[in-house]
Amino acid sequence: MNMAASERRRRSVRIEHADARLEQVESVAASATVRHVDQLDTETLAAVYRAVSEDRPVSTAATDLEPGEILVFTDYYRVARV
Amino acid sequence: MTQYVIIGDGISGSSAAETLREEDPDAKITVITDEGEPLYNRILIKEHAKGKLPEAPISIHDEDWYQEREIDLSLNTHVTSVDTDAKVVNTHDSGEIPYDKLLVATGGTPTQLPVENSDADGIHHFWTFEDARGIREHAENADKGVIVGAGLLGIDFAAVCGAQGIEAEYLMRGDRWWRYALSGDGAEIMHEGMREVGVEPVFDSGVDHFETDDDGHVTAAVDPNGDRYECDFVGAAIGLNFNTEFLRGSGIERDNGIVVDEHMQTNVDDVYAAGDLTRFYDVLLGEQAQNGSWGSAKEQGRVAAVNMAADEEAEGFQWVSSYSITHFDFPFLSFGHPTLGDEHAERRYSDTEWRRIAFKDGRIVGGVLIGDLSPQSKFKQLMREQRVVADQADVLLEQSVDLDDLAAPQEQ
Ligand SMILES: Cc1cc2nc3c(=O)[nH]c(=O)nc-3n(C[C@H](O)[C@H](O)[C@H](O)COP(=O)(O)OP(=O)(O)OC[C@H]3O[C@@H](n4cnc5c(N)ncnc54)[C@H](O)[C@@H]3O)c2cc1C
Repeated sequence: MNMAASERRRRSVRIEHADARLEQVESVAASATVRHVDQLDTETLAAVYRAVSEDRPVSTAATDLEPGEILVFTDYYRVARV
Repeated sequence: MTQYVIIGDGISGSSAAETLREEDPDAKITVITDEGEPLYNRILIKEHAKGKLPEAPISIHDEDWYQEREIDLSLNTHVTSVDTDAKVVNTHDSGEIPYDKLLVATGGTPTQLPVENSDADGIHHFWTFEDARGIREHAENADKGVIVGAGLLGIDFAAVCGAQGIEAEYLMRGDRWWRYALSGDGAEIMHEGMREVGVEPVFDSGVDHFETDDDGHVTAAVDPNGDRYECDFVGAAIGLNFNTEFLRGSGIERDNGIVVDEHMQTNVDDVYAAGDLTRFYDVLLGEQAQNGSWGSAKEQGRVAAVNMAADEEAEGFQWVSSYSITHFDFPFLSFGHPTLGDEHAERRYSDTEWRRIAFKDGRIVGGVLIGDLSPQSKFKQLMREQRVVADQADVLLEQSVDLDDLAAPQEQ
């Protein structure tokens, strides 16, 4: 087994505390903060993809997501605190 | 006090300005742009053109942002030449601006189709926020569209047509969309996505010339086969010309872009370049390469600024670029250099899921994921680690990729 990979996995399990959901939104207010998924780092993109494809919550601490911001992916999603 | 001049206020120039201020608090920093507005989010302007996003969230910096950081911002200022002996930048109407260190971050301009009437009203190119405003306004009133350019920027026009209810034909030169990175299987998923939004791909086509009415407005595109496609809206995205003409005579090495090393240094002392227009030394690929993506441009600006401020080769650029298409029900992500490589492996998983990996000397150098993005971070990790894995492509093509299934890396 690749030790570096398993160590990384253990670490990510430890810090992950899912505190937000991605809620689909239909329209965007002028005052909103909006980011495209290509502005996200690799791990945040992975978390967003998991959240959308598996309908799972995400951790804002373990990613660089900001509560309240809107993400442009295959739909528009708001990062909403749970 | 060092005087830094940055030409271009796109993401690479702006990220360099921000980093320079952090690294060198006392320096004089000047940012020059020929656009009329400070940095905005170029990768979101397509959402504005689609009619889905208002203008305000697309703006990134206002003029106060520069003032607060004591960065001089010159809007609407076109740089006409650079004298690298005298170390001055010449502008069209603000005179000479001296520099100690210069960053060229001027990106590119869309190439105009070299055919008759390609400058007619109603034919759009897409690079600036101003372009997006014009495209949106016109698209809201247009009925029939034609799109030219079977690549990553052309497909944004397809999405605009789809979102704005324009029935469109997408004229492609070969037998599929983005044929340099996708096989028939992968491209067919994209073609289906286009059809679902009302855009019909037309293969082995292209544009021979446009027809116009008496007012100079486009009325049809005629392809090289003589087939005529009526339209009142055209989106053309056949490539970029890098904005380097003002460097003529400067001694800065150019080769379809500006040649830089991994520290973003050109061949001329104290001149750096960053962003889309660089032909940089890619340490992962082991050769000169080009990226055309937001994340890469931002990182190149940051790395250039770190090295400019340090006055030495303090940091190298090492980055796996990625570029998404978010217009359809299924996601699409290309990473690294998907059009390069000497070996390829691919698999189709369903009507909307497909994967292709490009290898060079056995190492992953890029790829395309359609429908299922789950392996992206693992593939990027393998790229960064430069692991030789082409002989284990089966593991990488499993629907669920487990890197522990790869044989342990050999000691080099
Ligand atoms: C419609 C569209 C959609 C895109 N979608 C994506 C996407 O989904 N994901 C992704 O990663 N990337 C995307 N990109 C690409 C991404 O936007 C670019 O890679 C990135 O913005 C490049 O930044 P840059 O700073 O290198 O250049 P630019 O943003 O082009 O900035 C260069 C600036 O220099 C100015 N300039 C040029 N010449 C002069 C001169 N002589 N004097 C003064 N100023 C000058 C220009 O006007 C411009 O403001 C897209 C691009 C477009 C146009």
